[in-house]
Amino acid sequence: MTSLKRSQDSRQYSYDWPWVTLLLGPGLFLLCLLILIPVIGTIITSTNRDITFMDGKWVGLSNYAELFKDTAFRQSLRFTISFIAVSVPLELLFGLGLSLLMNYKSSFRGIIRSLVLIPWAIPAVISGRIWELIYNVNYGLANYIIEQFGFEKINWLGTSSGAFWAIIIADLWKTIPFVAIILLAGLSSIPETLYQQAQIDGASFFRRFYSITLPLLRPVIVVALLFRTIDALRIFDLVFILTSGGPGGSTTSLSQLGFKYFVGGDFGYGSTLSVIIFLCALVLSLLVIKFGKFSQEAI
Amino acid sequence: MNLFEKSFLYITITLLSLLTVCSKPDNKRIVLAVGGAPSEVEFWEKIAAQCTEQTGIELQLIRQPTDTDQRRQNLVTALRAKKATPDIFLMDVAWIAQFAGSNWLEPLQPFMDKHTISDTSFFESVVKQADHYDNKLIALPVYVDGGLLYYRKDLLKKYGYEKPPETWNEFIDCAKTITEKERQKNKNFVGYVWQGAQYEGLTCNFLEFAGSDKPGIVIDSSSPIIHTKRNIEAATLMRDLIEPYNISPQNTYTDMKEEEVRIAFQSGNALFERNWPYAWKLHQSEGSAVKGLTGVALLPHFKDGRSASTLGGWHIGLSRFSKQKDKAFTCIAYLLSSEVQKQFTIQLGWNPGRPDVYNDSTVLQIMQHAPILKEVFNHTVVRPVVPYYSYMSAVIQRYLNAVLSGKIEASAAFIDCEKELQEISRRYSK
Repeated sequence: MTSLKRSQDSRQYSYDWPWVTLLLGPGLFLLCLLILIPVIGTIITSTNRDITFMDGKWVGLSNYAELFKDTAFRQSLRFTISFIAVSVPLELLFGLGLSLLMNYKSSFRGIIRSLVLIPWAIPAVISGRIWELIYNVNYGLANYIIEQFGFEKINWLGTSSGAFWAIIIADLWKTIPFVAIILLAGLSSIPETLYQQAQIDGASFFRRFYSITLPLLRPVIVVALLFRTIDALRIFDLVFILTSGGPGGSTTSLSQLGFKYFVGGDFGYGSTLSVIIFLCALVLSLLVIKFGKFSQEAI
Repeated sequence: MNLFEKSFLYITITLLSLLTVCSKPDNKRIVLAVGGAPSEVEFWEKIAAQCTEQTGIELQLIRQPTDTDQRRQNLVTALRAKKATPDIFLMDVAWIAQFAGSNWLEPLQPFMDKHTISDTSFFESVVKQADHYDNKLIALPVYVDGGLLYYRKDLLKKYGYEKPPETWNEFIDCAKTITEKERQKNKNFVGYVWQGAQYEGLTCNFLEFAGSDKPGIVIDSSSPIIHTKRNIEAATLMRDLIEPYNISPQNTYTDMKEEEVRIAFQSGNALFERNWPYAWKLHQSEGSAVKGLTGVALLPHFKDGRSASTLGGWHIGLSRFSKQKDKAFTCIAYLLSSEVQKQFTIQLGWNPGRPDVYNDSTVLQIMQHAPILKEVFNHTVVRPVVPYYSYMSAVIQRYLNAVLSGKIEASAAFIDCEKELQEISRRYSK
């Protein structure tokens, strides 16, 4: 590469600025245009009374004050956070198990790998419909099985906690494969020789998993955690199809609530909600990244 | 190609593609934004071509999604940016006030006068209730909707009922008797299916239960009132139908939207159904288990009240930002003419906003239930005509859905609900 010259003594890089500008410029320009400017715009809008059917004015932080008084907001914040707190750890746990299974050398490896991917390949709207049919009180598969064992029918989506777990299960079914695939990539990059050496030293299976697999997999786990946390924060489609936010608003996610405000014409309040979602994502990612660095030092 | 040339090419392509995105729209045609089921949009394409042919004004269609909220979002984005197109568009009756309050709709009276069209050509109560804002005419009905009671003619006859029940007490007796007997043969059979999921349809259904002589939600000098005896009675009835009466299925408050309700009735698993008029044509289609067995009536009411149907439907409006308002109105006038409206009725089974179409002999042949529809449209109740209605409705849906699930008593729900509604109205009133 002509663009990068390393001066050996000081281990410093000297840059060929015209090239750097040329190669990074367009990317940075698009990044600013499509991400930075809208984010700043949203923050500015959130401090205004920006409602299509009212006169606009600057209101400072009063949108935020209203938001924290808002029952619907508190309810959906509680739902979204519990959803992340329950679904993401379970996804990681099952995803790890599945990836170990997929990495295990057997004659079924090819079949297992392709079968596992199916739920992830199905669009969320369609898998939502599938689960809706499974949970249906009258002719759903879940109640059919229960009845075979002599139990009463259950209205799965009819109670707040029932609907919550129904959404978690449907989400796990869909996203475990995704986590498993990411972890599988990490697993296959761990050199086989490490395991062989450990085996010679007499390390048990659990010891090998705990001392080799887990530490070497940590950076990949952090990536999976980051992806899933942010994705879970934005959950919309599955909830929209399965419960439309009910019963009684108990499963309304933050993004559903935000969508309602934008459609209704209150851009200021909608932006406030978006900023809150953005801040949640930021804090969660910083936490995850910090946690990731910590683990790399541990290696 | 060396690296420098490659990068140059890459930048040029990026800039060029940005330029094409920003190209200017052409100024001669009128643009109409319309969405809906694919078959409906196909038909609009045909009508647009006809319009171009007969009026000499090129009418171009922007195809919108099927989902109502996405259609609204689509228009809100364009209008908020003060874009000149679309010139004309269809609006759900529930958002006309929001659009009018945002000052996006051009008053139509001057154009009506110029074209010598009278608003008496349309359903008077509909135009009066839904198409006026601040005493100005800002929209016209294209498609009128109202809640209907569909019933199984064969089953009522089998169990000795001559006509569908009129009051809720009669209704409950009738539904209980028939459902209990029918369930012995078909364990999936239910008495009454209606829209109870947490979405706009639930508010519409509630207004009909509450209906009678007064609307369920009154906005009294900009303060909403919902905690009334009649409303508590109505919401309690809605819950009771599910439990303890066991007339409506358990999934009423989780799954039931228009299509779920229609399919339950159409597969022969329900005695009564509350739905919009669109279900009629589908119930009568090939492969429907209730073909020829379906009757239509007014929705039941409380003993001391009268039947009520929530007014729904789509209305056409003219954008204030249109650069060619005269031409655009000519297109509106064409689309609302008796001839074109008749085509919509015959081809799509739509209910036009013009009463004269219902007297046409070809239309009467296809829509045998036209006389009942006409009566229904005289019994409509409107959802509150305020720009912030959708926020009110979201609150109402949440509380009602909780009542239906048995989580909270109706009387307690309406106390909290009213507080939240007043909070909203305070925030959005000038």
